[in-house]
Amino acid sequence: MAENRIEQDSVYGLAATPDFLEGGRCFAARASGLYVSSDGGRTWRDAYRSLALKTPLTTVTVALSPQPAPETTVFAGALGGVLRSTDSGENWLTATLPTPPPYVVAIAVSPEYESDGLVFAATMEDGVFRSWDRGASWAAWNFGLLDLNVYALAISPDFGRDETLYVGTESGIFSSTNGGRAWREVPFAMEAAPVLSLALSPGYAADGILLAGTEASGLFRSADRGASWQRVYEWDGDSAVNQLVVANTGSGSWVLMALAGTSVSYSRDGGSHWRSLPAAASLDAAPTCICAPQGLAAGEPLLLGLEDGRVILAEIPDWQA
Amino acid sequence: MRPTNSRRLVFQPGSYASLQSGANQIVNAIRPTLGPLPRVVAIDRILDTRIPELLDNGGTIAKRIIQLRDMHADVGAMYVRDCLWQLQDQEGDGTATAAVIFQSVFNQGVRHVAGGYNARRLQTYLEEGARLVLAELTRMTAAVNGKERLAQAAYTVCQDAELSDLLGEIFDIVGEYGRLEIREDSGRGLEREYVEGMYWEKGLLSRELIADWTRVRSELEDAAVFISDLSLREPEDLLPILVCALKNERRRLLIIANEISDSAMSLLLANNRKPEEFQVLAVHTPGHGAEEQAWFLTDAAILCGGRPYIREAGDHPRGLRPEHFGRARRVWASRENFGIIGGRGDPRMLRRHIAELQQTFEDSLDVVYRSKLEKRIGKLLGGSATLRIGGVSEHEIEERKERAERTALAVRGALREGALPGGGAALLACRPALHERLRQAADDEEAAAYRILIDTVAEPMRALAANAGYNPALAVGEAEAGGTGFGFDVLRGEAVHMTEAGILDPASVQKAAAVTGITSAALALTIDVLVHRPDQPARASVRPPSKRKRL
Repeated sequence: MAENRIEQDSVYGLAATPDFLEGGRCFAARASGLYVSSDGGRTWRDAYRSLALKTPLTTVTVALSPQPAPETTVFAGALGGVLRSTDSGENWLTATLPTPPPYVVAIAVSPEYESDGLVFAATMEDGVFRSWDRGASWAAWNFGLLDLNVYALAISPDFGRDETLYVGTESGIFSSTNGGRAWREVPFAMEAAPVLSLALSPGYAADGILLAGTEASGLFRSADRGASWQRVYEWDGDSAVNQLVVANTGSGSWVLMALAGTSVSYSRDGGSHWRSLPAAASLDAAPTCICAPQGLAAGEPLLLGLEDGRVILAEIPDWQA
Repeated sequence: MRPTNSRRLVFQPGSYASLQSGANQIVNAIRPTLGPLPRVVAIDRILDTRIPELLDNGGTIAKRIIQLRDMHADVGAMYVRDCLWQLQDQEGDGTATAAVIFQSVFNQGVRHVAGGYNARRLQTYLEEGARLVLAELTRMTAAVNGKERLAQAAYTVCQDAELSDLLGEIFDIVGEYGRLEIREDSGRGLEREYVEGMYWEKGLLSRELIADWTRVRSELEDAAVFISDLSLREPEDLLPILVCALKNERRRLLIIANEISDSAMSLLLANNRKPEEFQVLAVHTPGHGAEEQAWFLTDAAILCGGRPYIREAGDHPRGLRPEHFGRARRVWASRENFGIIGGRGDPRMLRRHIAELQQTFEDSLDVVYRSKLEKRIGKLLGGSATLRIGGVSEHEIEERKERAERTALAVRGALREGALPGGGAALLACRPALHERLRQAADDEEAAAYRILIDTVAEPMRALAANAGYNPALAVGEAEAGGTGFGFDVLRGEAVHMTEAGILDPASVQKAAAVTGITSAALALTIDVLVHRPDQPARASVRPPSKRKRL
């Protein structure tokens, strides 16, 4: 397990290229800015140094385009705008969003980014912004989005065909089936909201499975694209489900990983039963975000951001064990 | 039979003959407009240039025919006109289909009644048949999603590919309740524009409040909103609002009021001299009349999270507390409009409020009230679209705008209630169910009613084929031979599976047209005597019919 303390402030978001252990990059979004590592997380440096900022630019989320390096574009969500870099975080272009400056809390890049150039940014008070030119310009697209306090954004793995997106908000979940140009309410109980995290199964196109993590009501699951919901799990104590990660395990099945409260757990049955992740159980600081750049197959790397600023490199366990 | 012998009273068989004559004249004027290859009806324009008006829309043609020379036949014509006018206002389309259905049912029904069948019993069975047709159409209805499908549904109404594509895109975005404004434009073609947030058709109370003279509007960020229908006639009425805002660090303020007097406005402008420290905008309370203003106050208070100050409740700004201000991320105002983007009200309350309005909309039968509710819901949904219609001549723009308006109405219907196989195929597919009911008929009138309907459900397809120059009987034969869902595509000249070919009709339009055509013809069959008023005016009134939803 490798670890590296970069500053004292929490890690809000992590993103890494699949080859980050062999010369690729990983990024950590922090209150003090965005940090980049090119040695698998051993050392970190300020990714915004080319901007020569006088004050730290709080960065809440970071996302990567799906192209292989070095064509990967990095998107960083900050207060008031989205920054993008097409050279692995060396130089940045900024795109400001309309004032008053919104907090960009989540970014989703289209799986078909290479051809459609679509990027979505969810904000705390201004709904969802949509860019159709690879992040150069942004426009608010909130038709039907009755709650502009957005916390989570999830994009369909089959987006190129179904153009489906979901957002988790203060009062529930909204979906778009036309590439984020319009939103419709999903029949999710308002009492269970806010929805802090969302995930779609890797086989969403066929199975329609959607998972929603809430602030205080546990995990909900829908097997019919959000038409009906069941609460499948509730963690002990005051456990907000802050992040959900879903990926194939390589053996035809998929694993769901959740960051709930201060624990990282995983489920192999779509969220009904959970076990603690061994690598996270022994940590002396609370995890704040997780990132699995190469999926969730056994032996692959897993990055854990902690509240004290460290980023831990762990290994995905053998799910069958 | 009693003879027709009075100038004021018309008895059978004269009353049927008169009704048939009038109804057939108006239906025959509309019939050529049915289908994707319609023929045009030219209507003499009396009031202006005498250039004939060229129409291919049944509802408009019906509206233009205001009186027939024969006062007896006029009763039949005006009866049909009223039915079609209501249908046009309610659904935006389907008038030609309803007209040919009416004609088929009425003419066959008259023959049966003349042959000794009881008109009232025939009416009862025809109405039962109409319910069966409605049930069959409902069974066949499929949801319409996506801009391509919506564009297809639009195309069957307007036969204008460019307009259909744009309306498909617009409704895919704004949804069934979404706000769409269709405006005439000075350009040559069609343009669409999407506006973020919601806006109302009331603007600034003083031009002195305009901050940006390039765009002729003002904007505020993170604004407090005073929501009221008060008349602020004295500076003392305004003062508590300004003081409360300043004391509580609300340095951007939007005041919504019915009126601000000159003296009060002077006070407001005096406080507006340093916009970097304190900036106020004041706009008119939207809505015509007390009811619409009350709706606005409710909606704005929920949207922005404030407490409305209501004149009728005796409210005065003296009692204002900081939590009574609503909040918004951005507000803007021009001379004509003002808008709110990102109201800071409770989103749960807003969602519940919209759901209640939608339920009221569903339950209401009043077309005018439904239209107002639709606009209200559309505003609250947080965005609107504007479709600008240009063209090479005023006449073309006018005609295309009218076409866009009725197509938009039909596409909304398709979004709400789905779509059916087009080209009369859905109605034709009702035949097996009608045959089944015919086999079970208990008496002569029932059998007659179902025989009439079995023939009638093919009438729209026959008319459509005839208008395109095909043999109507052959077209229907080919469609029936194709099987369920098949119709006759007059553009290709062959039977095709209508849904697969993308030929769709909005279900609400088809259902309303079928029911209007059958039930109004069935009712007309029970008319026995025509009575003309002695004070019959020289020209019939052009007043529209009652705007009650019929279904």
